[in-house]
Amino acid sequence: MTTATSPEATLSADDATGASFSATPSVTTVATLVPGQAVAESQLPAHDAHATTETVGAEGQHEAKEGGLPQLNTDHWAGQMIWLVVIFLVFLTLMAKVFVPRLRTVIDTRGATIAEDLANARANRDEAEAQAKQAAAETAEAHAAARKLAAEALARSNAEVAAATAAEDEKLGKRLAEAEARIRTQRDEAMSHVSDIAQETASLLVQKLTGKAATAAALKSALGKV
Amino acid sequence: MKLSKEVLGLMADPLHQFKIEKIVELPTFHIGGVPVDLSITNSVMAMLIAVGLTCLFFLLTTARASIIPGRGQVMAEGVFGLIDDMADSIIGHDGKQFLPYVLTLFLFILSCNLLGMFTYFTATSQIAVTLTLAAMTILLVLAVGFIRNGLGFFKLFVPSGVPWYILIVLVPIEVIAFIMRPVTLTLRLFGNMLGGHIVMKVFAGFIVTGLTLGGLGAVIGLASMGTIVALTTLEFLVAYLQAFVFAVLTCVYLSDVVNIGHH
Repeated sequence: MTTATSPEATLSADDATGASFSATPSVTTVATLVPGQAVAESQLPAHDAHATTETVGAEGQHEAKEGGLPQLNTDHWAGQMIWLVVIFLVFLTLMAKVFVPRLRTVIDTRGATIAEDLANARANRDEAEAQAKQAAAETAEAHAAARKLAAEALARSNAEVAAATAAEDEKLGKRLAEAEARIRTQRDEAMSHVSDIAQETASLLVQKLTGKAATAAALKSALGKV
Repeated sequence: MKLSKEVLGLMADPLHQFKIEKIVELPTFHIGGVPVDLSITNSVMAMLIAVGLTCLFFLLTTARASIIPGRGQVMAEGVFGLIDDMADSIIGHDGKQFLPYVLTLFLFILSCNLLGMFTYFTATSQIAVTLTLAAMTILLVLAVGFIRNGLGFFKLFVPSGVPWYILIVLVPIEVIAFIMRPVTLTLRLFGNMLGGHIVMKVFAGFIVTGLTLGGLGAVIGLASMGTIVALTTLEFLVAYLQAFVFAVLTCVYLSDVVNIGHH
């Protein structure tokens, strides 16, 4: 009985200070707020009828004694704890089974997508670089080929020119030699006539000067002296 | 005389906000002789609303989660990433498996704190609630410690590489520190929520009494108004910070038992 009255006293005390100070409502609230202890209450009103004034007074003291912190009233602890555990477990289950996997999946997918895109971009860049390098190499090769071709063409044309020049030189040399030979024969021929002409001229000069023809032997010896 | 006392009592009583009131009456059970009143009180209702809103938020933002996120999804991913990174950096590689618990704990405390800021009941200002949260965390830490390490769990109290004469002093200190963990977890959150809300209520009371007095009282009332605006912003910070601190400490305690012998 004494253990049962203490929570009731506090409950009715709360109600009394909050709403009204009359005796009868406090009795009714006691009856409604504690449904589990109906047996105990059948004796209570009789006790309460004359004790209301002192309970109200005692309640005031009780509240002041508790320091007024409603949290320290352990009446509601068990209910709150059970409810908290139930709510928390439901929340935890939802989190663990639904929300966390969803968020984890989408974040991982995004990471994978970004990584893949980056890898693709990097591959594309590498490919482009390789192609550029290849193009540069091809250009260089083409340059080299062109240069080689030009050099070859130059060499060939030089050789041709040289050959043509040589052929022409040879031809000219031949003609020159021919001409020289011809000139030489003509000169020799002309020189061979010189002694005859000189003999003739000398005989004519002698005849004119002496009036008498010189003998051939004398002319010959004279000419031999020249 | 009686009336004025009653009015002042109603107005200035900053503890009234913590009083548990029943909303839906449900039967009382007795578990091991302890009466368990399963009635839905304002505290339980606050938890239900806070968790319900949080679940609704996550339900809506992650229902059509896409690679290019919308606004809600960015927020959800932000909270997720915050706790995920923290758990990963504190616990290490095994952080992922404890993430659901830490995230749930963080969101539960944060949503209850924030609901308290929006004038409804603050469930985290109830010592029964913070005590249960701390107890769950410590029980999880103990369970993980014993499952992963067996009796090696007790190495937690014996730091390696310390000479025996220091251990004589150190081991009791470590044991006491471990025992105090749930107490500090309970009281830190409880005290912060309790204190903040009492201070706000007191200043709110000053506004009303000050303005009704007039004259100098009105000046005090207006000053209290300014104070309460500043305090409200501070309380929002505290609401977030306490949830985060609880989550960080949970990670630290889990890390202790997950990585026994590594420190």
